[in-house]
Amino acid sequence: MPNDIPAHAKERLKGLRSSAHSTGVFTSDFSVNEFLLVRKAGFEPIGLCVGTCVYHVGIQYGSWGKNQELDVLSKAMYHARELAMSRMRAEATAMGADGIVGVKLTIKRLEFDEHLLEFIAIGTGVVHGEGHKGFRAHDGGPFTSDLSGQDFWSLLHAGYRPMEMVMGSCVYHVAHRGMLSGLSTAGRNVELENYTSAMYEAREIAVERMQVEAAAAKAEGVVGVDIHEGSHAWKPHVIEFFAIGTAVLPLDQEIAPEKIADPIMVLSVND
Amino acid sequence: MSSFDPFNTPGADSQAQQTANEQRLADIINCLHTGAVPAATRARLEGARSGTLPWTATLSPAELLIARSHGLRPIAAVSATCWLHHGWSWTEGHAQGWGMALQRLRAEAKAAGANAVLDVKMRTIPLGVENSTDFTLIGTAVRIEGLPPSQEPIVATVPALEFVKLLEADVVPTGLAIGAQYDWMNDWRGRTNQAWMGNVESTALGSFWETIRQRAHAELRRSAQPQGNGVLAHINFSQLFEFEGGENKPKRFLGRHIVIATTVDARRGVPFQHDVQMVVDMHAGSTPLTGTTPHHQSYATNDKEGAI
Repeated sequence: MPNDIPAHAKERLKGLRSSAHSTGVFTSDFSVNEFLLVRKAGFEPIGLCVGTCVYHVGIQYGSWGKNQELDVLSKAMYHARELAMSRMRAEATAMGADGIVGVKLTIKRLEFDEHLLEFIAIGTGVVHGEGHKGFRAHDGGPFTSDLSGQDFWSLLHAGYRPMEMVMGSCVYHVAHRGMLSGLSTAGRNVELENYTSAMYEAREIAVERMQVEAAAAKAEGVVGVDIHEGSHAWKPHVIEFFAIGTAVLPLDQEIAPEKIADPIMVLSVND
Repeated sequence: MSSFDPFNTPGADSQAQQTANEQRLADIINCLHTGAVPAATRARLEGARSGTLPWTATLSPAELLIARSHGLRPIAAVSATCWLHHGWSWTEGHAQGWGMALQRLRAEAKAAGANAVLDVKMRTIPLGVENSTDFTLIGTAVRIEGLPPSQEPIVATVPALEFVKLLEADVVPTGLAIGAQYDWMNDWRGRTNQAWMGNVESTALGSFWETIRQRAHAELRRSAQPQGNGVLAHINFSQLFEFEGGENKPKRFLGRHIVIATTVDARRGVPFQHDVQMVVDMHAGSTPLTGTTPHHQSYATNDKEGAI
């Protein structure tokens, strides 16, 4: 019944506008569920934060028969992402945001030049509703996180707060069939050890770099780690391993652990 | 003028770097032979285990919440790869490749001091290297509070939520079982030429393919036996090819069937302990309540799939 509608919502329905925000308007790319859960977590969105970087990626070829990291490309991919991220974060700082949730980090290839890549970081800047500054990153600036609004709420209720999006990148050249030359594989399934070891090394480098970032951010752990590979239309045999996740710290005084409810497990009988 | 040319003379730093890289690769190759965990990975895993490095987890926050409320502590993301050249058989290569990756994943989990690896995803990288497949497993090693590290950590190819659901029901997902079989058939007597017939079963092809499938499923059972007392078979991949014959050559058929399953250890006759409550899920589209996305991207099939 109408009694259940909060006073503010009723005011607005009557045609009156709130003036709670300094600019009067907030922007966000939240879905309805995200919006409600971010607010339930005690935060208010203030504005979309964007960082862009168009980067000219240099050329580096690996030697044909050798497994090796292509450090020029690794550095390019890392540096460009870092620039996009830090610009987004600067926007958030300017807005006075305590953090950015739902950061999407994407790469686009510009069609007219194969060396140009565009890196875009976009997310919604949020502030704590009661002005609590304890949620900021270790350097006092806004936290960053690629977690959705729902995940943000879940994370706080798991007893953690997000600190910083951490990532590690390794662009790697995989040797061209070194092991097999001169070796007859007819009639046998043989492991291509140089390929396997290339995967191991490249993935290890990417994960190590991510973990070093997390340690530098003084995090306890990294949640939502995604380790994936992409080739961004480079030469065949060149592959990027990319590890990304959100570094987290346990909540101490922000939310008392005993206030965190145990989740209810649901088994669905739907197909 | 100095004759020093910075572009031709590698500095001591870059030389040392290069030597270190080569040693690292040699160590990885050596470990592939011995079944050990490469030194760099071992150092990272031990750091995460002892807390000198941050833990890492592929879990979402909701999964982390449910994992922690059930006494699971993430240690580190672990992974394993076996890149296999199919010189003999593509089909059997899949059993070999996944089997080897599974063994290596267990070794990493053990080095991390884990009791289990959960959220294990099966991946292949489309790098297009001739006639070969990269079998990769990626998951999160966890320890269970109050338990000593396991000498043989279990590997659960289900997401964390499903892992906990299974544990609550006294079912432990333990590993991966694979049945992969293929066969050739030469149609010497033209038994598959049925163009002039009406409605009639193609018994030649039917029995050919049924045999392959039966053999694959028998192998699945054998492969599961050392790991658990049952399987949840989520991937059924099969293909049948026809090759035209030529002069004095019959038409040939190749059939192959791969079935991959999560093995479980379940006590019989013990249902889960919770009451059943009806809930309405208002999610638009697919619902997280019924599980998550398929846990592999390695088999494109039109069979219906759940999470593995």
